[in-house]
Amino acid sequence: MTSDAIAVHHLGKRYGAVQAVDDLSFTVEAGEIFGFMGHNGAGKTTTLRMLLGLTRPTSGRASVLGHDVAAATLEVRRVAGYLPAAYALPPDMSAREFLRYVAAMFSIPAATAEARVEALLRRFGLVDAADRKLRGFSTGMTQKVGLAQALINEPRVLFLDEPTSGLDPLGRHELLEHLRELARDHGVTVVFSSHILSDVETLCRRVAVLHHARLIASGEVTALKAEHGATTMDDLYLALVRRPHP
Amino acid sequence: MIGKIPMVRLTLLDLRATLRERKTWLAAAMMIYAVLSIPVLLANPPEHVREAIGAWFSDDDPFALFMFVWIDLVMNKAVAFIPVILAAGVVLRERDTGVLAILAAKPITMSRYFVIRTLSAIGVMLTLYVGTQLLGLLWFPSRIPGFRAGDFLAAMSLHAFAAAFATAFAATLIVAVGRRGAGALLALVVLGILVGMALVGFYQPAWYTWTLANPLTLGALSMRALGHLGPGVLLPPMLALSVITALTIAVGARVARRVEA
Repeated sequence: MTSDAIAVHHLGKRYGAVQAVDDLSFTVEAGEIFGFMGHNGAGKTTTLRMLLGLTRPTSGRASVLGHDVAAATLEVRRVAGYLPAAYALPPDMSAREFLRYVAAMFSIPAATAEARVEALLRRFGLVDAADRKLRGFSTGMTQKVGLAQALINEPRVLFLDEPTSGLDPLGRHELLEHLRELARDHGVTVVFSSHILSDVETLCRRVAVLHHARLIASGEVTALKAEHGATTMDDLYLALVRRPHP
Repeated sequence: MIGKIPMVRLTLLDLRATLRERKTWLAAAMMIYAVLSIPVLLANPPEHVREAIGAWFSDDDPFALFMFVWIDLVMNKAVAFIPVILAAGVVLRERDTGVLAILAAKPITMSRYFVIRTLSAIGVMLTLYVGTQLLGLLWFPSRIPGFRAGDFLAAMSLHAFAAAFATAFAATLIVAVGRRGAGALLALVVLGILVGMALVGFYQPAWYTWTLANPLTLGALSMRALGHLGPGVLLPPMLALSVITALTIAVGARVARRVEA
Protein backbone atom coordinates (compact mmCIF):
# COMPACT_ATOMS: atom_id res chain seq x y z
CA MET A 1 0.00 0.00 0.00
CA THR A 2 1.28 3.46 -0.87
CA SER A 3 0.25 6.92 0.26
CA ASP A 4 0.27 10.01 -1.89
CA ALA A 5 2.74 12.70 -0.88
CA ILE A 6 1.43 15.03 -3.56
CA ALA A 7 -2.06 15.12 -5.01
CA VAL A 8 -2.95 17.46 -7.86
CA HIS A 9 -6.58 17.82 -9.03
CA HIS A 10 -7.53 19.76 -12.17
CA LEU A 11 -4.91 22.38 -11.42
CA GLY A 12 -4.79 25.37 -13.75
CA LYS A 13 -3.01 28.69 -14.03
CA ARG A 14 -3.84 31.49 -16.41
CA TYR A 15 -1.77 34.65 -16.89
CA GLY A 16 -4.10 36.99 -18.77
CA ALA A 17 -4.71 35.38 -22.14
CA VAL A 18 -2.04 32.73 -21.62
CA GLN A 19 -3.02 29.37 -20.15
CA ALA A 20 0.24 28.31 -18.47
CA VAL A 21 -1.14 25.12 -16.91
CA ASP A 22 -4.43 23.53 -17.92
CA ASP A 23 -6.46 20.94 -16.02
CA LEU A 24 -3.51 19.09 -14.54
CA SER A 25 -4.11 16.01 -12.37
CA PHE A 26 -1.58 13.52 -11.02
CA THR A 27 -0.32 12.03 -7.77
CA VAL A 28 3.16 11.36 -6.43
CA GLU A 29 3.72 8.50 -4.00
CA ALA A 30 5.64 9.07 -0.79
CA GLY A 31 9.33 8.23 -1.15
CA GLU A 32 9.41 8.02 -4.95
CA ILE A 33 11.39 10.06 -7.44
CA PHE A 34 8.79 11.35 -9.84
CA GLY A 35 9.80 12.67 -13.25
CA PHE A 36 8.19 15.78 -14.60
CA MET A 37 8.92 16.09 -18.29
CA GLY A 38 8.15 18.59 -20.98
CA HIS A 39 9.62 21.11 -23.36
CA ASN A 40 10.64 24.57 -22.17
CA GLY A 41 7.48 26.53 -21.45
CA ALA A 42 5.32 23.42 -21.12
CA GLY A 43 4.21 24.46 -17.63
CA LYS A 44 6.57 22.48 -15.41
CA THR A 45 7.97 25.46 -13.52
CA THR A 46 4.55 27.06 -13.07
CA THR A 47 3.25 23.79 -11.63
CA LEU A 48 6.11 23.55 -9.15
CA ARG A 49 5.59 27.20 -8.17
CA MET A 50 1.92 26.50 -7.52
CA LEU A 51 2.80 23.47 -5.41
CA LEU A 52 5.02 25.72 -3.27
CA GLY A 53 2.48 28.53 -3.04
CA LEU A 54 4.71 30.91 -4.98
CA THR A 55 1.89 31.57 -7.39
CA ARG A 56 -1.82 30.94 -6.85
CA PRO A 57 -3.71 28.47 -9.05
CA THR A 58 -6.59 29.97 -11.01
CA SER A 59 -8.43 26.63 -10.94
CA GLY A 60 -8.25 23.26 -9.25
CA ARG A 61 -6.43 22.33 -6.07
CA ALA A 62 -3.35 20.51 -4.89
CA SER A 63 -1.91 19.26 -1.64
CA VAL A 64 1.56 18.38 -0.39
CA LEU A 65 1.68 15.90 2.50
CA GLY A 66 -1.97 16.74 3.15
CA HIS A 67 -1.44 20.52 3.24
CA ASP A 68 -3.50 22.49 0.74
CA VAL A 69 -1.02 24.53 -1.31
CA ALA A 70 -3.25 27.61 -1.49
CA ALA A 71 -4.53 27.63 2.10
CA ALA A 72 -1.54 26.27 4.02
CA THR A 73 1.37 27.65 2.03
CA LEU A 74 3.78 28.06 4.94
CA GLU A 75 3.11 24.49 6.17
CA VAL A 76 3.93 23.18 2.70
CA ARG A 77 7.17 25.17 2.59
CA ARG A 78 8.12 23.96 6.04
CA VAL A 79 8.21 20.33 4.85
CA ALA A 80 9.49 21.01 1.33
CA GLY A 81 12.82 21.79 -0.26
CA TYR A 82 13.05 23.63 -3.57
CA LEU A 83 15.76 24.20 -6.10
CA PRO A 84 14.47 26.53 -8.84
CA ALA A 85 15.63 26.35 -12.44
CA ALA A 86 16.85 29.94 -12.51
CA TYR A 87 18.28 31.44 -9.35
CA ALA A 88 21.28 33.20 -7.89
CA LEU A 89 23.03 33.03 -4.57
CA PRO A 90 23.80 36.19 -2.57
CA PRO A 91 27.25 37.13 -3.88
CA ASP A 92 28.56 38.70 -0.68
CA MET A 93 27.76 35.72 1.56
CA SER A 94 29.84 32.60 1.96
CA ALA A 95 28.30 29.15 1.50
CA ARG A 96 28.34 28.61 5.26
CA GLU A 97 26.67 31.97 5.96
CA PHE A 98 24.03 31.39 3.32
CA LEU A 99 23.12 27.96 4.68
CA ARG A 100 22.91 29.45 8.20
CA TYR A 101 20.68 32.19 6.82
CA VAL A 102 18.33 29.72 5.13
CA ALA A 103 18.24 27.62 8.32
CA ALA A 104 17.19 30.73 10.25
CA MET A 105 14.34 31.23 7.78
CA PHE A 106 13.05 27.83 8.91
CA SER A 107 13.48 28.88 12.55
CA ILE A 108 15.79 25.90 13.07
CA PRO A 109 17.50 26.24 16.49
CA ALA A 110 21.05 27.57 16.17
CA ALA A 111 22.87 24.44 17.40
CA THR A 112 20.83 22.14 15.13
CA ALA A 113 21.32 24.52 12.21
CA GLU A 114 25.06 24.58 12.76
CA ALA A 115 25.25 20.78 12.76
CA ARG A 116 23.18 20.53 9.58
CA VAL A 117 25.21 23.21 7.81
CA GLU A 118 28.45 21.38 8.55
CA ALA A 119 26.96 18.03 7.52
CA LEU A 120 25.71 19.44 4.21
CA LEU A 121 29.02 21.17 3.50
CA ARG A 122 30.77 17.82 4.01
CA ARG A 123 28.20 15.89 2.01
CA PHE A 124 28.59 18.14 -1.04
CA GLY A 125 32.36 18.52 -0.76
CA LEU A 126 32.13 22.22 0.01
CA VAL A 127 34.12 22.32 3.26
CA ASP A 128 37.22 23.88 1.70
CA ALA A 129 35.18 26.56 -0.06
CA ALA A 130 32.70 27.10 2.77
CA ASP A 131 34.00 30.51 3.81
CA ARG A 132 34.64 31.88 0.33
CA LYS A 133 32.21 34.44 -1.07
CA LEU A 134 29.61 32.85 -3.33
CA ARG A 135 30.33 35.32 -6.15
CA GLY A 136 33.36 33.25 -7.15
CA PHE A 137 31.61 29.88 -7.26
CA SER A 138 31.48 27.80 -10.45
CA THR A 139 28.16 26.55 -11.86
CA GLY A 140 28.69 23.13 -10.33
CA MET A 141 29.54 24.51 -6.90
CA THR A 142 26.61 26.92 -7.07
CA GLN A 143 24.31 24.02 -7.83
CA LYS A 144 25.71 22.10 -4.86
CA VAL A 145 25.00 25.04 -2.55
CA GLY A 146 21.58 25.29 -4.19
CA LEU A 147 20.84 21.68 -3.39
CA ALA A 148 22.30 22.00 0.11
CA GLN A 149 19.97 24.92 0.90
CA ALA A 150 17.04 22.84 -0.34
CA LEU A 151 17.96 20.14 2.18
CA ILE A 152 18.65 22.32 5.23
CA ASN A 153 15.20 21.65 6.71
CA GLU A 154 15.49 17.90 6.09
CA PRO A 155 12.52 18.10 3.72
CA ARG A 156 10.10 15.26 3.21
CA VAL A 157 9.36 16.49 -0.31
CA LEU A 158 11.96 17.91 -2.65
CA PHE A 159 11.06 19.91 -5.75
CA LEU A 160 13.89 20.19 -8.25
CA ASP A 161 13.45 22.26 -11.39
CA GLU A 162 16.01 21.40 -14.08
CA PRO A 163 18.66 20.62 -11.47
CA THR A 164 21.16 19.11 -13.90
CA SER A 165 21.14 21.98 -16.40
CA GLY A 166 24.59 23.48 -16.74
CA LEU A 167 26.34 20.68 -14.88
CA ASP A 168 29.24 18.74 -16.36
CA PRO A 169 28.87 14.93 -16.65
CA LEU A 170 30.58 14.28 -13.30
CA GLY A 171 28.51 16.91 -11.50
CA ARG A 172 25.37 15.46 -13.05
CA HIS A 173 26.29 11.95 -11.98
CA GLU A 174 26.98 13.07 -8.41
CA LEU A 175 23.71 14.99 -8.21
CA LEU A 176 21.67 12.03 -9.44
CA GLU A 177 23.44 9.80 -6.91
CA HIS A 178 22.55 12.23 -4.11
CA LEU A 179 18.91 12.18 -5.15
CA ARG A 180 18.78 8.38 -5.27
CA GLU A 181 20.31 8.26 -1.80
CA LEU A 182 17.80 10.77 -0.44
CA ALA A 183 14.85 8.76 -1.71
CA ARG A 184 16.31 5.36 -0.79
CA ASP A 185 17.86 6.09 2.59
CA HIS A 186 15.77 8.96 3.87
CA GLY A 187 12.40 8.36 2.23
CA VAL A 188 12.35 11.80 0.65
CA THR A 189 9.78 12.28 -2.12
CA VAL A 190 11.46 13.94 -5.09
CA VAL A 191 9.73 15.73 -7.94
CA PHE A 192 12.37 15.92 -10.65
CA SER A 193 11.48 18.34 -13.41
CA SER A 194 13.66 18.15 -16.48
CA HIS A 195 13.73 18.18 -20.23
CA ILE A 196 16.87 16.02 -20.18
CA LEU A 197 15.20 12.70 -20.88
CA SER A 198 18.17 10.51 -20.04
CA ASP A 199 18.27 11.96 -16.51
CA VAL A 200 14.58 11.27 -16.04
CA GLU A 201 14.98 7.71 -17.31
CA THR A 202 17.97 7.10 -15.02
CA LEU A 203 16.20 8.33 -11.94
CA CYS A 204 12.45 7.94 -12.17
CA ARG A 205 10.09 4.99 -12.16
CA ARG A 206 7.03 7.11 -12.89
CA VAL A 207 6.68 10.29 -14.92
CA ALA A 208 4.21 12.93 -15.99
CA VAL A 209 4.61 14.53 -19.40
CA LEU A 210 3.43 18.09 -20.04
CA HIS A 211 2.97 19.51 -23.50
CA HIS A 212 1.67 23.03 -24.15
CA ALA A 213 0.36 23.38 -20.59
CA ARG A 214 -1.52 20.05 -20.59
CA LEU A 215 -0.74 16.66 -19.17
CA ILE A 216 -0.48 14.28 -22.12
CA ALA A 217 0.68 11.17 -20.27
CA SER A 218 1.53 9.88 -16.82
CA GLY A 219 2.46 6.54 -15.36
CA GLU A 220 5.34 4.08 -15.12
CA VAL A 221 8.07 4.62 -17.68
CA THR A 222 8.17 0.93 -18.67
CA ALA A 223 4.41 0.80 -19.10
CA LEU A 224 4.35 3.97 -21.16
CA LYS A 225 7.16 2.67 -23.37
CA ALA A 226 5.33 -0.57 -23.95
CA GLU A 227 2.06 1.21 -24.66
CA HIS A 228 3.64 3.45 -27.28
CA GLY A 229 6.08 0.90 -28.74
CA ALA A 230 9.10 2.93 -27.69
CA THR A 231 12.49 1.50 -26.76
CA THR A 232 14.15 4.68 -25.53
CA MET A 233 12.96 7.69 -23.56
CA ASP A 234 13.50 9.87 -26.63
CA ASP A 235 11.23 7.61 -28.70
CA LEU A 236 8.61 7.67 -25.97
CA TYR A 237 8.67 11.43 -25.65
CA LEU A 238 8.47 11.96 -29.41
CA ALA A 239 5.63 9.45 -29.71
CA LEU A 240 3.73 11.25 -26.98
CA VAL A 241 4.13 14.79 -28.28
CA ARG A 242 3.57 13.88 -31.96
CA ARG A 243 0.28 12.09 -31.48
CA PRO A 244 -2.77 14.29 -31.93
CA HIS A 245 -4.00 16.03 -28.77
CA PRO A 246 -7.53 17.29 -28.24
CA MET B 1 20.82 34.91 24.16
CA ILE B 2 18.61 37.20 22.10
CA GLY B 3 20.11 35.64 18.96
CA LYS B 4 18.36 32.39 19.87
CA ILE B 5 15.01 33.92 18.95
CA PRO B 6 14.60 32.72 15.32
CA MET B 7 13.53 35.95 13.59
CA VAL B 8 16.03 37.96 15.62
CA ARG B 9 18.75 35.55 14.52
CA LEU B 10 17.72 35.92 10.89
CA THR B 11 17.80 39.71 11.23
CA LEU B 12 21.24 39.60 12.86
CA LEU B 13 22.57 37.29 10.14
CA ASP B 14 21.17 39.65 7.53
CA LEU B 15 22.68 42.65 9.30
CA ARG B 16 26.08 41.00 9.48
CA ALA B 17 26.01 40.14 5.79
CA THR B 18 24.82 43.63 4.80
CA LEU B 19 27.53 45.29 6.88
CA ARG B 20 30.14 43.61 4.68
CA GLU B 21 28.60 44.65 1.37
CA ARG B 22 30.39 47.15 -0.86
CA LYS B 23 27.58 49.71 -0.65
CA THR B 24 28.00 49.78 3.15
CA TRP B 25 31.70 50.53 2.81
CA LEU B 26 30.88 53.27 0.30
CA ALA B 27 28.43 54.81 2.78
CA ALA B 28 31.00 54.51 5.58
CA ALA B 29 33.59 56.28 3.45
CA MET B 30 31.15 59.15 2.83
CA MET B 31 30.50 59.51 6.55
CA ILE B 32 34.19 59.46 7.45
CA TYR B 33 34.88 62.10 4.81
CA ALA B 34 32.18 64.30 6.37
CA VAL B 35 33.69 63.99 9.86
CA LEU B 36 37.19 64.82 8.68
CA SER B 37 36.27 67.66 6.32
CA ILE B 38 33.73 69.67 8.30
CA PRO B 39 36.15 71.21 10.84
CA VAL B 40 38.32 72.34 7.91
CA LEU B 41 35.34 73.90 6.12
CA LEU B 42 34.25 75.59 9.34
CA ALA B 43 37.64 77.02 10.18
CA ASN B 44 36.73 80.54 9.07
CA PRO B 45 32.99 81.00 8.44
CA PRO B 46 31.84 84.31 6.87
CA GLU B 47 30.45 86.83 9.32
CA HIS B 48 27.02 87.03 7.63
CA VAL B 49 26.61 83.26 8.10
CA ARG B 50 27.40 83.59 11.80
CA GLU B 51 24.88 86.40 12.11
CA ALA B 52 22.15 84.53 10.23
CA ILE B 53 22.56 81.41 12.33
CA GLY B 54 22.66 83.48 15.49
CA ALA B 55 19.31 85.02 14.49
CA TRP B 56 17.66 81.74 13.47
CA PHE B 57 18.56 79.86 16.61
CA SER B 58 18.83 82.78 19.05
CA ASP B 59 22.33 81.60 19.78
CA ASP B 60 25.60 83.04 18.46
CA ASP B 61 27.68 80.42 20.20
CA PRO B 62 30.24 78.89 17.75
CA PHE B 63 28.95 75.49 18.88
CA ALA B 64 25.47 76.41 17.54
CA LEU B 65 27.03 77.25 14.18
CA PHE B 66 28.80 73.89 14.17
CA MET B 67 25.63 72.00 15.13
CA PHE B 68 23.64 73.75 12.40
CA VAL B 69 26.23 72.76 9.84
CA TRP B 70 26.58 69.23 11.23
CA ILE B 71 22.86 68.48 11.54
CA ASP B 72 21.41 70.29 8.55
CA LEU B 73 24.17 70.49 6.00
CA VAL B 74 25.88 67.18 6.76
CA MET B 75 23.80 64.56 8.61
CA ASN B 76 20.48 65.58 7.06
CA LYS B 77 22.04 65.18 3.62
CA ALA B 78 23.46 61.86 4.74
CA VAL B 79 20.04 60.64 5.85
CA ALA B 80 18.55 61.68 2.53
CA PHE B 81 21.17 59.85 0.52
CA ILE B 82 22.60 56.88 2.39
CA PRO B 83 19.27 55.23 3.33
CA VAL B 84 18.39 55.14 -0.36
CA ILE B 85 21.65 53.30 -1.08
CA LEU B 86 21.00 50.87 1.76
CA ALA B 87 17.28 50.35 1.18
CA ALA B 88 17.30 50.04 -2.61
CA GLY B 89 18.28 46.41 -2.17
CA VAL B 90 15.49 45.46 0.21
CA VAL B 91 13.55 42.58 -1.40
CA LEU B 92 13.70 44.02 -4.94
CA ARG B 93 17.40 43.39 -5.42
CA GLU B 94 16.88 39.78 -4.34
CA ARG B 95 14.01 39.56 -6.83
CA ASP B 96 15.99 41.14 -9.67
CA THR B 97 19.13 39.05 -9.13
CA GLY B 98 17.30 35.74 -8.65
CA VAL B 99 18.10 35.19 -4.96
CA LEU B 100 14.41 35.58 -4.12
CA ALA B 101 13.62 32.53 -6.28
CA ILE B 102 15.19 30.50 -3.48
CA LEU B 103 14.26 32.56 -0.43
CA ALA B 104 10.59 33.03 -1.35
CA ALA B 105 10.07 29.26 -1.12
CA LYS B 106 10.91 29.28 2.59
CA PRO B 107 8.28 29.35 5.34
CA ILE B 108 8.29 33.09 5.76
CA THR B 109 5.85 35.56 4.26
CA MET B 110 7.05 38.30 1.96
CA SER B 111 5.78 40.85 4.49
CA ARG B 112 7.91 39.40 7.26
CA TYR B 113 10.90 39.13 4.95
CA PHE B 114 10.50 42.82 4.10
CA VAL B 115 10.39 43.71 7.80
CA ILE B 116 13.55 41.69 8.48
CA ARG B 117 15.43 43.23 5.54
CA THR B 118 14.29 46.73 6.50
CA LEU B 119 15.28 46.29 10.14
CA SER B 120 18.63 45.05 8.91
CA ALA B 121 19.04 48.13 6.68
CA ILE B 122 18.11 50.35 9.64
CA GLY B 123 20.65 48.45 11.72
CA VAL B 124 23.35 49.16 9.14
CA MET B 125 22.34 52.81 8.91
CA LEU B 126 22.46 53.20 12.69
CA THR B 127 25.80 51.38 12.91
CA LEU B 128 27.26 53.83 10.40
CA TYR B 129 25.53 56.71 12.09
CA VAL B 130 26.72 55.89 15.60
CA GLY B 131 30.23 55.15 14.31
CA THR B 132 30.28 58.57 12.63
CA GLN B 133 29.22 60.40 15.78
CA LEU B 134 31.78 58.52 17.89
CA LEU B 135 34.48 59.35 15.37
CA GLY B 136 33.32 62.97 15.54
CA LEU B 137 33.51 62.85 19.29
CA LEU B 138 37.20 62.02 18.99
CA TRP B 139 37.94 64.54 16.23
CA PHE B 140 35.77 67.58 16.89
CA PRO B 141 36.80 68.67 20.44
CA SER B 142 40.24 69.72 19.29
CA ARG B 143 38.91 71.37 16.10
CA ILE B 144 35.62 73.05 17.02
CA PRO B 145 35.74 75.99 19.45
CA GLY B 146 33.35 75.51 22.37
CA PHE B 147 32.49 71.91 21.40
CA ARG B 148 30.22 70.32 24.02
CA ALA B 149 30.35 66.53 23.88
CA GLY B 150 27.22 65.94 25.97
CA ASP B 151 25.02 68.25 23.90
CA PHE B 152 26.49 66.82 20.71
CA LEU B 153 25.63 63.26 21.70
CA ALA B 154 22.17 64.21 22.95
CA ALA B 155 21.31 66.08 19.76
CA MET B 156 22.63 63.32 17.53
CA SER B 157 20.76 60.65 19.53
CA LEU B 158 17.53 62.34 18.50
CA HIS B 159 18.68 62.76 14.92
CA ALA B 160 19.50 59.02 14.73
CA PHE B 161 15.75 58.37 14.96
CA ALA B 162 15.32 60.48 11.82
CA ALA B 163 17.98 58.35 10.13
CA ALA B 164 16.03 55.21 11.04
CA PHE B 165 12.84 56.75 9.68
CA ALA B 166 14.54 57.75 6.42
CA THR B 167 15.76 54.17 5.91
CA ALA B 168 12.31 52.68 6.54
CA PHE B 169 10.75 55.30 4.28
CA ALA B 170 13.18 54.61 1.43
CA ALA B 171 12.65 50.84 1.74
CA THR B 172 8.87 51.22 1.71
CA LEU B 173 8.76 53.68 -1.17
CA ILE B 174 11.11 51.63 -3.33
CA VAL B 175 9.10 48.44 -2.76
CA ALA B 176 5.87 50.34 -3.45
CA VAL B 177 7.22 51.59 -6.77
CA GLY B 178 8.34 48.06 -7.59
CA ARG B 179 11.41 49.07 -9.60
CA ARG B 180 14.72 49.70 -7.90
CA GLY B 181 16.00 52.55 -10.06
CA ALA B 182 12.75 54.51 -10.28
CA GLY B 183 11.97 53.81 -6.62
CA ALA B 184 15.39 54.96 -5.45
CA LEU B 185 15.12 58.13 -7.51
CA LEU B 186 11.69 58.92 -6.09
CA ALA B 187 12.85 58.18 -2.54
CA LEU B 188 15.83 60.48 -3.06
CA VAL B 189 13.58 63.28 -4.34
CA VAL B 190 11.04 62.95 -1.51
CA LEU B 191 13.69 62.67 1.21
CA GLY B 192 15.53 65.59 -0.42
CA ILE B 193 12.38 67.70 -0.16
CA LEU B 194 11.85 66.67 3.48
CA VAL B 195 15.46 67.55 4.27
CA GLY B 196 15.16 70.84 2.40
CA MET B 197 12.11 71.74 4.48
CA ALA B 198 13.45 70.39 7.77
CA LEU B 199 14.61 73.67 9.27
CA VAL B 200 12.17 76.04 7.54
CA GLY B 201 10.35 76.54 10.83
CA PHE B 202 13.51 78.01 12.31
CA TYR B 203 13.95 80.48 9.45
CA GLN B 204 10.22 81.32 9.32
CA PRO B 205 8.84 81.00 12.86
CA ALA B 206 5.26 81.41 11.61
CA TRP B 207 5.54 78.06 9.83
CA TYR B 208 7.10 76.24 12.73
CA THR B 209 4.01 74.27 13.81
CA TRP B 210 3.39 73.00 10.29
CA THR B 211 6.94 71.82 9.88
CA LEU B 212 6.51 69.44 12.84
CA ALA B 213 4.67 67.14 10.42
CA ASN B 214 8.04 66.59 8.74
CA PRO B 215 9.88 63.68 10.43
CA LEU B 216 13.23 65.25 9.57
CA THR B 217 12.20 68.42 11.42
CA LEU B 218 11.51 66.27 14.48
CA GLY B 219 15.03 64.87 14.14
CA ALA B 220 16.51 68.37 14.25
CA LEU B 221 14.43 69.76 17.11
CA SER B 222 17.48 69.76 19.38
CA MET B 223 18.54 72.94 17.55
CA ARG B 224 15.78 74.78 19.48
CA ALA B 225 17.33 74.03 22.84
CA LEU B 226 21.01 73.30 22.42
CA GLY B 227 21.85 74.74 25.81
CA HIS B 228 19.41 72.63 27.80
CA LEU B 229 18.86 69.30 26.09
CA GLY B 230 17.14 66.84 28.39
CA PRO B 231 14.52 64.08 28.34
CA GLY B 232 11.70 66.64 28.12
CA VAL B 233 13.12 68.00 24.87
CA LEU B 234 14.37 64.75 23.35
CA LEU B 235 11.89 62.02 24.30
CA PRO B 236 8.69 63.35 22.63
CA PRO B 237 10.23 63.65 19.15
CA MET B 238 12.04 60.31 19.66
CA LEU B 239 8.72 58.66 20.49
CA ALA B 240 6.97 60.34 17.56
CA LEU B 241 9.71 59.24 15.15
CA SER B 242 9.58 55.67 16.51
CA VAL B 243 5.83 55.52 15.87
CA ILE B 244 6.15 57.03 12.38
CA THR B 245 8.96 54.58 11.54
CA ALA B 246 6.94 51.59 12.76
CA LEU B 247 3.92 52.71 10.73
CA THR B 248 6.10 53.19 7.66
CA ILE B 249 7.51 49.67 7.99
CA ALA B 250 3.97 48.31 8.45
CA VAL B 251 2.89 49.99 5.20
CA GLY B 252 5.95 48.56 3.46
CA ALA B 253 5.20 45.08 4.78
CA ARG B 254 1.70 45.31 3.35
CA VAL B 255 2.93 46.54 -0.02
CA ALA B 256 5.65 43.85 -0.13
CA ARG B 257 2.99 41.11 -0.26
CA ARG B 258 2.58 41.70 -3.97
CA VAL B 259 6.28 41.10 -4.76
CA GLU B 260 6.62 37.79 -6.62
CA ALA B 261 9.86 35.87 -6.93
